Amino acid sequence: MPAVPHPRSRRALLRRLALGAAAAAGGPALLQACRGPQGNGGSSGTATGEGGGELVISSFPLYIDADAPGAPGSVARFRKETGIQLRYLEDVNDVRQFFARIRPQLAAGRPIVQDLVVLTSWMAERLIGLGWLEPLPLEQVPNVRHLSPDLRNPSWDPGGRFSLPWQSGIAGIAYNIKATGRELRSVDDLFDPALRGRVSMLLEMRDTMGLLMLADGQDISRPSWQGAQNAFNRLEKARRDGQIRRFTGNDYQNDLLAGNLAACIGWSGDIAQLALEQPDLRFLVPESGGVLWADVMLMPRGARHRREAARWLNWVYEPREAARIAAAVQYISPVEGVQPILAADPATRELASSPLMFPDAAERRRLKVFGPLSESEEARWEERFAAITEA
Amino acid sequence: MRRSPKPERQPLWPWLLLAPGLLWLVLLYLLPLLGLVPLSLSEPLSRFGLETVFRGRFATYLEVARDQGPILLRSLRTAGIATALGLLLAYPLALLIRFRGGRWQPLLIGLVVLPSLVSQLVRAIAWSTLLGDHGPVLGAIGALGLRDGLNALGLLRDGRLLNTATAVVLGLTTTLLPFLVLPLVVALQRIEPRLLEAAADLHAGPLASFRRVVWPLSRPGLSAGLLLSLIPAAGDVVNPRFLGGPDDRMVANTIENLLLVQLQAPRAAALTLLLMALVSVVVLLQLRAGTEELPLP
Repeated sequence: MPAVPHPRSRRALLRRLALGAAAAAGGPALLQACRGPQGNGGSSGTATGEGGGELVISSFPLYIDADAPGAPGSVARFRKETGIQLRYLEDVNDVRQFFARIRPQLAAGRPIVQDLVVLTSWMAERLIGLGWLEPLPLEQVPNVRHLSPDLRNPSWDPGGRFSLPWQSGIAGIAYNIKATGRELRSVDDLFDPALRGRVSMLLEMRDTMGLLMLADGQDISRPSWQGAQNAFNRLEKARRDGQIRRFTGNDYQNDLLAGNLAACIGWSGDIAQLALEQPDLRFLVPESGGVLWADVMLMPRGARHRREAARWLNWVYEPREAARIAAAVQYISPVEGVQPILAADPATRELASSPLMFPDAAERRRLKVFGPLSESEEARWEERFAAITEA
Repeated sequence: MRRSPKPERQPLWPWLLLAPGLLWLVLLYLLPLLGLVPLSLSEPLSRFGLETVFRGRFATYLEVARDQGPILLRSLRTAGIATALGLLLAYPLALLIRFRGGRWQPLLIGLVVLPSLVSQLVRAIAWSTLLGDHGPVLGAIGALGLRDGLNALGLLRDGRLLNTATAVVLGLTTTLLPFLVLPLVVALQRIEPRLLEAAADLHAGPLASFRRVVWPLSRPGLSAGLLLSLIPAAGDVVNPRFLGGPDDRMVANTIENLLLVQLQAPRAAALTLLLMALVSVVVLLQLRAGTEELPLP
């Protein structure tokens, strides 16, 4: 296979941070300025393949292989191959804020500009419940046969008609061993007074609460309000005691590299990438368990380009293409056959044995998916969580 | 019998000139703002839908005052401290620009404004690099042996600067500085030089002429600067998010969370209106004080 683009440069990381920050502050101008070559939606597609047409996708920043010198990224190659004018927008920074953005249109029964959006599975569940999604055109996606069997009937979308996984990942403990001075072993280590003020946790409630609840021996696939109380109280106390320096989105990465954080709750792929620059970084899935999450591709109601969307889905489920993406983002690919492809290329051989990208059966058993919360339950959880993180 | 003179008809053209601005304010500011009032008294019909139903629910205000009262007061306090600190920096700077600037005045004013040309977000991120645990500022504090002292004063938290209230105040102060300096320079420039000469003729030393002439005549600029900076400071989002810790969030962060994450638009509206009311009280007090101090013609 052609050379897989070399994993992240420092510049790419900075770009991601700036992007995350810009969207956090609602800075569309900066967002525009920072958007990479692939985000411009320009028509670099010289129609060599049959078809043409348009396609608009929204996803998280830097969640796909980017263009490298001499090695166009997936977006550019898809455009060239299919002649489809793909506008690939990296404008999802916070799933909940993205929901707030698309809500006025979808609630009024009007289509949004996107034909596909990549969002976290619990949000998929919410959107399915609201009836704001179209079933995916899976009949036009033969490559869906490569979907990993354990993802075919997800709890958030029984039968898998509305969602197709993009990547999965693990929320676990990231730490800088130079800063902690020792290996960390458990969630309790995040509460070690020696790390006071040098620990951050995620604003993504299910990841932070999930990890703490697993440490309490709770079954997070069926989260209960009662069972969460100890974790909530523990979090509240840690915040009050100054143990927790910040609650973060993906902006924890910069703090981790700069040495402002010794340990944090973070995401596996981020740390895998950061560890290339900062070899002292470690990622721990504690004995008590890690939170397995999935980001999924969804089609909003009234999407205008079903045929083109199907071609994209088919494209990214082709194992060779999936391998390129996986090598760049270093999360868990939902596509079967990626591992041997990575192993066959000397440039990516190391990745093929990464436990963060390809957890084995024993490791998988320690990973749990945060289960559904009813509407009213979720409101109650969000309120309590916000009272701790936002007060 | 004498008739009272007919009142002269007001010409219409000033209103025509004002119309675009007024229309803009009414359509894009006043109407949405008024819309917040019924929204704050409503309840959402469903959690994820957009429809709300008006119930005249004043309890929302009580709940918001109870739950978000502390953060509201904290925001005003932080904004107040940042403004006060800004003034301490701005006043000497304005004096320097006015009385020692000479032909460099435009350049100096340009330098004061220059940081505002950079996005507030980028500035906050730059600050976070400077104030980081291994950054130059903390390094200098350590080298000067000030760390323990500042820690004891509560200016550092566990010996660190980033993600503390101090960092938020520093970030805010830099944001505000141009808003404070510019009105002050304008006010100082309007001081008639002959007044200073007269003061000197009457044997007033530099201190006395400052106290009796410059200071009173600069008060309008001071008032204007206070207003221009206090209002945006109280509603700041970026500095507390990137420079503060969990204890340093400000009310705009909470409003954002209520609106976008918790989807509780009525609460967000109520909190917004409470913030505006509180700031308005401060502004009105300040305006009254400001007009009383206007120099007699």
